[in-house]
Amino acid sequence: MSTQLDEYLEAEIQSLLTDGRVAELGITVNRREHLLVLGGEVESTHRRDEICRQINQRFPDVQIVCDIGIIRASAPSEVEEIS
Amino acid sequence: MIRIAAVGDVHVDKDVLGRFRPALEELPGHADALLIAGDLTRHGTVDEARCFATEFGGLGVPVVVVLGNHDHQSDQQARVTEVLTDSGITVLEGDATVLELNGHRLGIAGVKGFGGGFAGACASNFGEREMKEFVGTTEVIAARLEEALKSVQCDALVALTHYAPVPDTLLGEPLEIYAFLGCYQLGRAIDAAPTALALHGHAHHGSERGRTPGGVPVRNVAHPVIKQAYNIYQLLSETVDTELIST
Repeated sequence: MSTQLDEYLEAEIQSLLTDGRVAELGITVNRREHLLVLGGEVESTHRRDEICRQINQRFPDVQIVCDIGIIRASAPSEVEEIS
Repeated sequence: MIRIAAVGDVHVDKDVLGRFRPALEELPGHADALLIAGDLTRHGTVDEARCFATEFGGLGVPVVVVLGNHDHQSDQQARVTEVLTDSGITVLEGDATVLELNGHRLGIAGVKGFGGGFAGACASNFGEREMKEFVGTTEVIAARLEEALKSVQCDALVALTHYAPVPDTLLGEPLEIYAFLGCYQLGRAIDAAPTALALHGHAHHGSERGRTPGGVPVRNVAHPVIKQAYNIYQLLSETVDTELIST
């Protein structure tokens, strides 16, 4: 039986990403007709790839699109004056 | 004038080593201190704390931090604090520190904070033991922040937390999880002292700017929100300008 793309799957993926090695609480999971779209931003490409690997491993029959970005870490160019 | 750099939620582990460092090397030329609003590590392990100290330590400016919920994940927060302190990083939890910068005294009071929600949608200290412990924890932590803020004699006072003190800076997060992202008690503590600026993290999908009911500027400096290595805030500008004019 193929995995249903329903709310329970979404919750299970959120739980998978929170527990254990990944520890990413800010990943969004959006259900489309036949696939899941992962969103949000993480600190490294290694983390993004690990998220996709773990979900693929746990739900091999679910098609996943990874739109997770890597947060920029450049120096700022502006100062905000607090008054 | 004092310039402080700030960021939160950097979640350092081995895979992040070196990502922030180029921007941090520039920091002493632009700011007098670096404040970090919790979630320094990914799982709160000692090894990750060492990675954080390597990445954010030894900058040539004071580094002051609070821990976040990620830093508590492995129940090693005492050891994590020890590693950071040994590296010259000041860790605040219900206490305060004063930095002498450019002839001014910058006071920083910090706590991790906790959840509970905001006016009209907050948890109450009532009912099951677990609920009373949850809200009781929030109240104790907020009281410690208020005490720490009031204990400082300084020219500019900054409150540093991981959890949010106002809902303004949560805009963008699902409403359903506001109660897990911050609490009004932190805002009330900040308003009880002459706080110039409140900095927090934790809300990755939130907004950057807000104000407490008492008018204190609040900035969410979570790394996914500011999208750069750190922000820089300038305090006491008027004092310096006045002095420059009078001379």
